[in-house]
Amino acid sequence: MMKLVNSAALAFAAGAALTASILPARAQETVKVGVLHSLSGTMAISETSLRDVLQFTFDEINAKGGVMGKKIEPVIVDGASNWPLFAEKAKQLLEQDKCAVVFGCWTSVSRKSVLPVFEKNNGLLFYPVQYEGEEESQNVFYTAEAVNQQATPSVDYLLAQGKKKFYLLGSDYVYPQTTNLVLLEYLLSKGVPIENIGGGFKKDESGKIISAGKYTPFGHTDYQQIIAEIKQFAAGGKACVVSTLNGDTNVPFFKEYAAAGLTAETCPVVSFSISEDEFRALPAKQLVGQLGCWTYFQSIKSPANKKFIADWDAWLKKTTLDGVKKEGRVTCSPMALSYDGVYLWKAAVEKAKSFEVDKVREALKGGISFAGPGGTVKSQKNMHLTKNVFIGETKADGQFKILKTFEGVYGEPWLKGTFKPKTAKK
Amino acid sequence: MDARFPKRELLLVGLGALFLIVIFPALNAADLVSNFTLNVWGKYLCYAILAISVDMLWGYTGLLSLGQALFFSLGGYMMGMYLMRMIGSLGQHKKGIPDFLVFLGWEQLPSFWVPFSSFVFAACMVVAIPALLATVFGYLAFRSRIKGVYFSILTQALTYGAALMFFRNDMLLGGNNGFTDFKFLLGADLRSGATQRALYIATAVMLLLVYLLCRWLTRTKFGLIQRAVRDSETRVLFSGYSAANYKLFVFVVCAVIAGLAGALYVPQVGIINPAEMQTEKSLEIIVWVAVGGRGTLLGPIIGAVVINALKSWATRAYPDLWLILLGGLFILVVLFMPKGIVGLPAQLRGFFAKRKSADPEPETAEKVTVKP
Amino acid sequence: MMHRILILLAALICITARAETPREVIAKAAVLDDSEAQAKLVQTLADSGSPDVGQLLTLWKEGGIFLLSGPTDTKIAITLGPDKDAGGNQAVFRFETGAPVLDEAGKPLRALASDLNTAETDSLLRTAMKSVMDLAQLSSADVKQRLRSVETLGMEQNPERLPVLLSRQQKETDSQVKRAIREAIALTEIKDEDPAKQIAACRELGAIGSIPSQDILKQVVKDGVPEVQVAATAALKEIASHVRTVDTVGTLFRGLSAGSILLVVAIGLAITFGLMGVINMAHGEMIAIGAYTTYIVQCVFGPGLEVSPFGFHINLPGMNATGWHYDCYFIVAIPLSFLTAALAGLALERGIIRFLYSRPLESLLATWGVSLVLQQLFRLTFGANNVQVSAPSWLSGNWTVNDILFPWNRVFVVVFAIAIVIGVNLLLKKTPLGLLIRAVMQNRNMAACMGVRTERVNMLTFALGSGLAGLAGAFISQIGNVGPGLGQLYIVDSFMTVVVGGVGNLFGTVFSSLGIGMADQGLQQILGNPVLGKILVLAGIILFLQWRPAGIFVSKSRSLES
Repeated sequence: MMKLVNSAALAFAAGAALTASILPARAQETVKVGVLHSLSGTMAISETSLRDVLQFTFDEINAKGGVMGKKIEPVIVDGASNWPLFAEKAKQLLEQDKCAVVFGCWTSVSRKSVLPVFEKNNGLLFYPVQYEGEEESQNVFYTAEAVNQQATPSVDYLLAQGKKKFYLLGSDYVYPQTTNLVLLEYLLSKGVPIENIGGGFKKDESGKIISAGKYTPFGHTDYQQIIAEIKQFAAGGKACVVSTLNGDTNVPFFKEYAAAGLTAETCPVVSFSISEDEFRALPAKQLVGQLGCWTYFQSIKSPANKKFIADWDAWLKKTTLDGVKKEGRVTCSPMALSYDGVYLWKAAVEKAKSFEVDKVREALKGGISFAGPGGTVKSQKNMHLTKNVFIGETKADGQFKILKTFEGVYGEPWLKGTFKPKTAKK
Repeated sequence: MDARFPKRELLLVGLGALFLIVIFPALNAADLVSNFTLNVWGKYLCYAILAISVDMLWGYTGLLSLGQALFFSLGGYMMGMYLMRMIGSLGQHKKGIPDFLVFLGWEQLPSFWVPFSSFVFAACMVVAIPALLATVFGYLAFRSRIKGVYFSILTQALTYGAALMFFRNDMLLGGNNGFTDFKFLLGADLRSGATQRALYIATAVMLLLVYLLCRWLTRTKFGLIQRAVRDSETRVLFSGYSAANYKLFVFVVCAVIAGLAGALYVPQVGIINPAEMQTEKSLEIIVWVAVGGRGTLLGPIIGAVVINALKSWATRAYPDLWLILLGGLFILVVLFMPKGIVGLPAQLRGFFAKRKSADPEPETAEKVTVKP
Repeated sequence: MMHRILILLAALICITARAETPREVIAKAAVLDDSEAQAKLVQTLADSGSPDVGQLLTLWKEGGIFLLSGPTDTKIAITLGPDKDAGGNQAVFRFETGAPVLDEAGKPLRALASDLNTAETDSLLRTAMKSVMDLAQLSSADVKQRLRSVETLGMEQNPERLPVLLSRQQKETDSQVKRAIREAIALTEIKDEDPAKQIAACRELGAIGSIPSQDILKQVVKDGVPEVQVAATAALKEIASHVRTVDTVGTLFRGLSAGSILLVVAIGLAITFGLMGVINMAHGEMIAIGAYTTYIVQCVFGPGLEVSPFGFHINLPGMNATGWHYDCYFIVAIPLSFLTAALAGLALERGIIRFLYSRPLESLLATWGVSLVLQQLFRLTFGANNVQVSAPSWLSGNWTVNDILFPWNRVFVVVFAIAIVIGVNLLLKKTPLGLLIRAVMQNRNMAACMGVRTERVNMLTFALGSGLAGLAGAFISQIGNVGPGLGQLYIVDSFMTVVVGGVGNLFGTVFSSLGIGMADQGLQQILGNPVLGKILVLAGIILFLQWRPAGIFVSKSRSLES
């Protein structure tokens, strides 16, 4: 009866078109799993790949008998890069479809918009993309890179390479702002003088720095001015750029950067948002030697990764799903972390012998290891992930060459204020 | 030009209101309609209010404003500021001030945030801020007789500029992330079904009130001048009316309506961020109105609900193709249903009678409202 | 004199002690695992004076040297021959001798490039390579290479390099390089023990306006003896004033180029919207069509393109062109992107817009629908990601005068914009078609009464406007993203530009785009913040329209209801 009235109410809106959605619930042998990514709008650029890799992972698990004998039944929805719609879709996945777990979100704002929904319904979200930290919800499992699994290792590497000047550049939103504040503290704690940190500062009335670095809005297309500034900043040598620019704006930035005659030898850029997937849109030949830092690279030479890539390619060839582009695909860290996330969830379910969120969460907090494509990952008590961190530099073929590996880095979401500057000045 | 209700319209509006305000929430209270469905409908009805405000401007006054999303968001932001204050120390940082301020290194509340602890103040701001902005902007624009597409582009520039401002973290309004994670409204837990139901009822009542207000306005002498401005502003001027004052009044009223819709929207969807005030949003509202039928009051309501329900459904059923479906629908509506859904019965009748419709547009539209 | 003898001696020792050719050294280094050891070996090439060192190192850096595992775990460095056989196999040559490598049967070995391991380089090694190449390039015939070489030598501040620089200074003819050498010498001498020399160096740096030396001078201000401190402070002041000049001129040029981009993007809209009155929200997608056309042409010149929209598999074979043949792709892409977008515009006009001439505001809705559909079609065809369009070599790089940067692609867009404005203006004012277009756009009914086939003129005008958008797309592909959302980035700016200029006036669009571009870049420079600048420009536009409610140039009309 309830179902009927619900459907009647919905049908009132969309008429006959809606009937498709009220198919009778499938029998007991499946478990519903939500996928909440943007397949249209500005963020589709990055998130579509994650939808694809999740599909691949589900198919792989289903082919081996599913989770605790149940086949995974994915419920895929489009968040359309629209944050209220994200919240609505999250409600739909949890309240209507009763999904046991949801994999999804990319931007900080999409995570923030669904967070109350997950907390209210006691759902479980696996979040796979590098983020700013300062958050530790009991309803989100962060397979993502925390700031200490990306930003601070990169800076360590650059310092070891003899870099003395750091230009901070990012898109204007929480992740870059927070990361750069942490980096500022970190660099000061390593004895880098404040005048060697470029991009500008903003101070509050008391003179405390509340924002460090140069910020551009989303969809910014004109980097001439900033490049001219970097060119002067780097003129004296031993300089580098730490970029938290968002995927889309990297293309105009790097095209301008190359046109200005800057190269990785004169002033390398370490970017936290460019993975192999985004790199496909960049003029790779002009950017040889730029740095990236992730917990996975496609070029990792391990049997697990080889198998992952081979299976992924095979799946791409034979899949008949709508909207999956088959040509020129690569794998990247958010994809590998999505993959790890599904297997971690599977392992947690099997350990807890239940699909119930509370029990699965306890199992995850108890520490579950999974030998993923990027090496073994282990879930932590604080809902984050211990994993390997790699520094790589870009090659002309769009892949990264791994320069340095930090093994088993513990994911630490609360970093701000933990580094004390060497000099007394704050 | 009679402000009284003809019987059929009274019946229809009465039945609609009864269903939306009483029956639907009652079904939800009896657990026959899920909270999710009710919540989604709350959102649609907020959009419907917003759509009416656009139609008052575009359909009745001929002002195609691309700034209604801005007023909607401003209302939402004012309500959001109150809701953020109500989180108290339940945020991630447990500091008693909104989390993003802690991020930015603030230890105390910036002064302009302080009064928003009061619901009454926030509610006044929901009305005052959009009204103020609309008055200043409208005064400037109408005084210099900006019209037509220039007005559209001007409102677009205003919206775009405002969105860029709100995106900046230095605005201290949450930047790109905006406001989320609301907990309480007037002491009631926002996560509980009862609170959401109350919000839904408030929205439905607001929709009815706005509908009645606009219906009354459009049927007074004011409404006549309003439409005269739309059809030929110069002649209105020559007849001795100050078209600018009329336009300014409508503009401000519509800004306030949009602000109220925004204020009801935010606690129901749980987020407000600057993406809500981008130009695409304003365009979307215009599409709802066009699909529903512009120059009528029922049209925008139907358009807003139908398009959004379609979107809710298609983003789940056809995640890859829904944009094509929706875009295709807009094209078809514009080409083949110039009077929207509300005009469809008349259009069909005309088609079957093989009679060329010679009625001027506004009159048809009115007839249609009366006899749907 | 003493110096020269020492160098001669050193050179002699080198020749006698090490008979290894650069090829041998590189082959030795390439097979090593430790990048520090590799770097050391490469450093030894610095004094070899061999002209092909630079070329060989570049080959290595760009992945042209491969490693072949020999018997007993040894590796040898090899290169591949230019010709490929049917299986893609290439002949294998030993790197140090250039002799063909033989397989077990004694036949010349052939191998597939993708099967081999490349001899990789890391940043430490590449830094070493770079310093070697810089030294070698000091006597290069190419001014740019000489310049870069001098700059790096200066930053090294190595007194041992001073003689080389001094001798180069005697021979150098290019003024830019001369300036760089003066800078490099001064930078080196500022490390001298003698305060008099230091002061002279400071003065020299100040006189040149040397931007790179700022950090070093600041250090000197902190650590030097008082007289030197004074000199360094004065030099810093001079440099700061030089920087101001550079910034001002640079900003003017950046404003010009930003304005040109706006102009190129908006000029198509100035025709479809300004002249025809169609509010074409799909204008942005027409730009995207042009950009995607450029991408396709690039792929056809390169490795080919495979797409599979809606399950249909389309495979475009590639020509695998290289060198300047490949660079020609952009020349081909420009007219093609115009044509494709014009055809798309034609279809749009025939299919939808021609029904809406009497309802301009509704054309906004229909074309917005078109824009949504097209965006999703791009996404389904080319993938949701941005695609890669690389600049042809003649558009990459820049021209630097006195520290002011003129990137070639920016210079090109300025020229391109001028050409388009002249072209469109000639078309409208000097051709019969232009006459018809103007007639129909002024008064559609009157023109029809005079026997003009307005339908056709509408069609062609809309196609022209769309084609111009396509041209803009070809250009945008060189400086920004090519992706499904490309059009959305430019649509708001385009409308703003046309309206500020005055609807229906081409020159209004020219003025407004340049004005907006200049204001944007100027404010950005002054405020140091790209967003604030943009907000102020928008506020400026709002106020400007108060003052001139119909844009810069008002189309005069006697009609009351326009």
